[in-house]
Amino acid sequence: MTCEEVRVELVECWGSTEKLCAAAVAHLEVCAQCRYEALILRETHVMVRSLPAEQAPDGLTASVLDQIASEQAQPGWAARIAEMFAPARQPSWARAAAVGTAIALAVAGGTVWVNHSLEDGSPEQLASGQPGAIAVSSPAASEAELDELLRRHQALEMSQPLADDAGVSLVMYTSN
Amino acid sequence: MAKATQLNQRDIEVLVERARTGDRVAFGQLVDEYKDKIYNYVSRMLNDPYEAEDVTQEAFLRAYRSLPRFRGASSFHTWLYRIASNLAIDVVRKRKRTEPTYSLDEPLESDDGEYEREIPDDSGSPEDTSTTRETQVAVRRAIIELPEKLRDVMILYELQGETYEDIAEILDVPLGTVKSRLFNARNRLKDSLEELVAAGELEVER
Repeated sequence: MTCEEVRVELVECWGSTEKLCAAAVAHLEVCAQCRYEALILRETHVMVRSLPAEQAPDGLTASVLDQIASEQAQPGWAARIAEMFAPARQPSWARAAAVGTAIALAVAGGTVWVNHSLEDGSPEQLASGQPGAIAVSSPAASEAELDELLRRHQALEMSQPLADDAGVSLVMYTSN
Repeated sequence: MAKATQLNQRDIEVLVERARTGDRVAFGQLVDEYKDKIYNYVSRMLNDPYEAEDVTQEAFLRAYRSLPRFRGASSFHTWLYRIASNLAIDVVRKRKRTEPTYSLDEPLESDDGEYEREIPDDSGSPEDTSTTRETQVAVRRAIIELPEKLRDVMILYELQGETYEDIAEILDVPLGTVKSRLFNARNRLKDSLEELVAAGELEVER
């Protein structure tokens, strides 16, 4: 065998003479350079194999599972894209705040209107259907207030003649 | 085919099937089973513990996401290795683009500044006299300086104990390619370490 052929075999068996064919072993006995090659290969193999195995850091499994859980908790890409194009939504606390403000304004507005109505006593306002005139639906208008309002309205109506254009003739019949 | 260390092949198949249906506990058991093997492989490929941890984690995440498409044509462990290998090769190629003169001695740069490349000191207890830390550093250096295709085969065969057939499947190359790469890798390693061995600079147990 030539040195080249022997060295190919040496590389394939990491320089171990036990795995060499008889012809290669015979070559090594007479070739110092190939014996040196065999030695270097054996030492290299020992060094490579002696590298200790490294262990994964603690918590790697937990970290992987946490990430999977957080990915699953998030909406998928399709849902995220749809959300990007959807109209902006207010958060729940903002919606709650808006409802609260509306109620507060309605209460305040109703109270102001009732007070105003009670002060000027105008029945036209009651009958006009203006927003502020819907005192009955105002949560601030208590039953007592409404009764008082109705009583004053009736008293006012009785004291004034009906308008001509009312289309109603009031005929008083007297009998002997 | 290389077997997992604790669970038998049937256990693995059952866990894979459960994990395919979204069973995270089953997948956690698979991670526990393979994390050291995958981390060790990636760590040898990259020689950086932080990147190795990131890549190992990403490999498992990708495996979980891809499990519904895993049909069992190959074994779970070669499939997992293939994912890890692709990710590790991506990092190696990215390094080549950003660090053309990559050196183990140069500090790494991060957003927080430079830091020393950390080579884990896993030389073991003082009683462990098989090799010195210096030897291990030299061997790691020689391995990391191999071209990535040779390095991959060298690590899978010599350090991970994978068979030629499994390596061919993991790397998606013919069996002959695996053997020729391994031959070239051994030759290069011998050349890299020859000077050190011959000069007696390394303490090697004979």
